[in-house]
Amino acid sequence: MTVAASRTRVPVPHRRSTTAITLGIPAAMVVLVVAVALSWRPELPDPIAIHWGPGGEADRFGPFGPHVIAHAVIVTLFAAGMWAVGWFWGREALTRRFAAGAAVWFAGVLSGVLLGNLQIQRGLSDATEVGTAGGPLAFAFGTATVAALLAAWAVPGDARHPTSEPLPEGAPRLELGSGEHATWVQEVGQAGLIVVIGGILTFAVVMGLLTRQWAFVAGITAALSILLAGIFRWTVTVDHSGLTARSALRRPRVRVPLDEVVVAEVVHVDPIREFGGWGLRTGRGGRTGVVVRKGDSIQVQRTGGRVLVVTVDDAPTGAALLNTLAARARRT
Amino acid sequence: MLFRIDPTAPEPLFAQMAGQVRTAAIRGELSPGQRLPAARDLAESLDVNLHTVLRAYQDLRDEGLIELRRGRGAVVTARAAQDLEPLREAVAQVAAQARSAGISPDTTLALVKEALR
Repeated sequence: MTVAASRTRVPVPHRRSTTAITLGIPAAMVVLVVAVALSWRPELPDPIAIHWGPGGEADRFGPFGPHVIAHAVIVTLFAAGMWAVGWFWGREALTRRFAAGAAVWFAGVLSGVLLGNLQIQRGLSDATEVGTAGGPLAFAFGTATVAALLAAWAVPGDARHPTSEPLPEGAPRLELGSGEHATWVQEVGQAGLIVVIGGILTFAVVMGLLTRQWAFVAGITAALSILLAGIFRWTVTVDHSGLTARSALRRPRVRVPLDEVVVAEVVHVDPIREFGGWGLRTGRGGRTGVVVRKGDSIQVQRTGGRVLVVTVDDAPTGAALLNTLAARARRT
Repeated sequence: MLFRIDPTAPEPLFAQMAGQVRTAAIRGELSPGQRLPAARDLAESLDVNLHTVLRAYQDLRDEGLIELRRGRGAVVTARAAQDLEPLREAVAQVAAQARSAGISPDTTLALVKEALR
């Protein structure tokens, strides 16, 4: 029951900042890392150590040039991919922030690992004498995470896009008296969450046994579990403030105000095929979504060419109420 | 679930709200352990006083349809979610019989009330 809405062809906003942050920062990191690596080259052994085994000892060696070039190419390609996501699909700040954060995080981790690993080899004549790479790795993860959060924060938010256009005739509605107040609240969650968290814990124990870096493993496990609990249980509300999907921890939160609703409809969603997974995501074509299961979902076409999908039970009631409230808000 | 209240109706707001949860329970739309929205959130959403929602929730708790737990909000009890399909069928049958026999709704209700004594 898709309603053909007149979608205005608005260009994707903030393309300049997307280029500066999502492409510019990783590119600058590549230039910096290559320059620093070149300046260290005379002090480095040949071949250099390029990989460390689970015991913390170097187990693979190779020449300097190809290793540094491969690093530059991988970081640049990934950043270019994320930039394309932001450039073509970045109608919502959520998408642009994801893209910027991912590009900067990836560039940061790889740059930190490369420089850290080179740093501990400076002054060695034989790369097999090199020590453990655990320190540089932890440092790279930490700084890259902070840099990614800063990059995501620096991405400009969405401007308000109110509309007074009437809703399409065929949009599903709900019978509602003119003085009546109505609210639709529905919880949606992932039944498999316990299995997922169990899987993470098992993984953490195995990693801990292998690497003996228990504090590191415990930190990552705690962060992942909180993240999952926050992203896989949502409360969806439709009321006078619009549609709100709030995670179990109240943040993150996604909201569509009534005056930005073009039309709400019910669609069938396949999370893997259309969004590449579950949670708060950007899918193919730049739709954003709170997707925690397969099946009927509310799809809200928003002003500015944006589309939000929320997988939730009883979606027809939610969509109909949203249309009804949006139409009512526009009349007054 | 859908909550709707009409401030212009003669029935008090808390009674309208509680009535909707009762109806949802009888229709089999609630499952045990399901959480109703936090009173504060619901009051804000419906644009009513917090005490209106709390009063509705307290009435529902007194009837055993929900449990109020600190920190977890209002949780639907097993009793509220019991299978009332036979009752719904019986009511539908009463309505159909009354209609075919030409008995007015008021008379039918009086009969049901009599039987419930």
